[in-house]
Amino acid sequence: MATYFPRAEETREILKKQRVVIAGVGETEQGKIPDKSSFQFLSEASKLAIEDAGIKKSDVDGVITAFSLVEHTFMHCTTFADYFGIRPRFFSSVAVGGATAVWMVAEAAMAIASGQADVVLCVRGDNTLSGISSSGMVALIREMCHAEFEFPYGLTTPGGYALVAQRYMHEFGAKPEHLAAVAVTARKHASMKENAMHKKPLTVEDVLSSRVIAAPLHKYDCSIISDGGAAFIVTTEEKAKSLGVTKPLVYLHGMGQGYSHQYLTSLTDLTQIYDAIGNSGKKAYETAGVGPSDIDVAFLYDCFTITALLELEGLGFVPRGEAGPFALEGRLELGKDLPLNTHGGLLSQAHLGAMHHVVEATLQLRGEAGPRQVEGATTALVHGNGGIVSAHSTIILNKEPL
Amino acid sequence: MSEYKKPLPEFRPETKPYWEAAKRHELVLPKSKTDNRFFFYPRALSPFEDMTQEIDWEKASGRGKVWTYSVHHMGPTPAYKGEPPYVVALVELDEGVKMMTNIVECDPSEVKIGMEVEVVFDDVTEEVTLPKFRPVRS
Repeated sequence: MATYFPRAEETREILKKQRVVIAGVGETEQGKIPDKSSFQFLSEASKLAIEDAGIKKSDVDGVITAFSLVEHTFMHCTTFADYFGIRPRFFSSVAVGGATAVWMVAEAAMAIASGQADVVLCVRGDNTLSGISSSGMVALIREMCHAEFEFPYGLTTPGGYALVAQRYMHEFGAKPEHLAAVAVTARKHASMKENAMHKKPLTVEDVLSSRVIAAPLHKYDCSIISDGGAAFIVTTEEKAKSLGVTKPLVYLHGMGQGYSHQYLTSLTDLTQIYDAIGNSGKKAYETAGVGPSDIDVAFLYDCFTITALLELEGLGFVPRGEAGPFALEGRLELGKDLPLNTHGGLLSQAHLGAMHHVVEATLQLRGEAGPRQVEGATTALVHGNGGIVSAHSTIILNKEPL
Repeated sequence: MSEYKKPLPEFRPETKPYWEAAKRHELVLPKSKTDNRFFFYPRALSPFEDMTQEIDWEKASGRGKVWTYSVHHMGPTPAYKGEPPYVVALVELDEGVKMMTNIVECDPSEVKIGMEVEVVFDDVTEEVTLPKFRPVRS
């Protein structure tokens, strides 16, 4: 894998010179909010991020959106620009599933570095919980697997992750309680976040006695579905200062992607997944000039508990097969070895891809995470995963310039 | 058989030989003529470096091993409501490729990784036959 990222030094120089920053973040109320549309959430989140940065709406000259699971649009970014009332000179819809939010930051950085835009609004919002129809849900599950060679066998999305979890448990002797521990930690952290959907304490026993969805995954091994929006403003330190941004700036130090497969049918072995996660991390680490031990707080994609375990190992935080015991020993909790998803993640806070992971990472590095604050947090890693542990993206953020 | 409400495969033209063979109760696999290797799922071009469109359809042994599996307690569509749990599995065929399938003709609790399985054919509609697998009985 030594040749995976031959231009790390060059990328590092670009980020060093550009000083790309997150200058503002916003998140709307998350939960079951039946009276708001997807585009309302997008707009409200954008407004909050613009206000947080203390800039004007007209300062935004680039926009990156994703997609909606409810209101399908052929050109999502420009549809949103029209609704919100902006005429950006750079626009893009990033659609790489759960890898999207993290990649929005990277794509904004690339747009800025190549002169396409100076102030990029990155936003996602959706009324997934209230708005998705039963046929829309079936369509989503079908899209997550091969419509011709997998879906006819009744494969579901939790089922796809369950297939990976079963193999993982077989290879490493992991137990269901190892998976459950990730959900328990997420809930503990969500209980400290006001804007979180599920805060009631959860025990390993609760997870293991919850309904089996697709063995070995139980109900509480699966992420939640929610309504809401979140946004962030990506710009440069120079531009932020010229616009009078007063919030502490959070600097982009590294970014990377890694790809394994789209369909599990095409998967050779677990190593292929670890390599995809690892390559994504490697690009980010090498650009930033740091390693796993330098990360103060981690935001990993947790659509299912197994996802977080694979990422912890693939990103080099713990050796392969050891993430389960690490989680069960409580070492992912606030104040311990590696605080994970201090906002509660997709398992307990809200599900909007990794949007809230990026928002919370920013709050942590600004020292604004309140009761969830990781003392002295300087460096954060955010990792997104799309598909069935298929497509990966990683960024490394820091409170100081590169 | 017109009562079948579960998802049916959404055919692509290039996969026709596979489904026609399944209807004859034969499992065939696409093989690159130049690379001489099997691949799965079927595609119009070999996914290998050769990118060849010269593809052979070879009859497979129909034997393999369970690489991983998941007992599904909830199906993807309303048609699964009230159904007993079923086994979705990735089977590694003797030819080296993996296939998503169901393990049938056994209790879900008997399924294990590494279990030897053989193909059976489920004529779910008049047009569609799904290759599935059952434990090898010998």
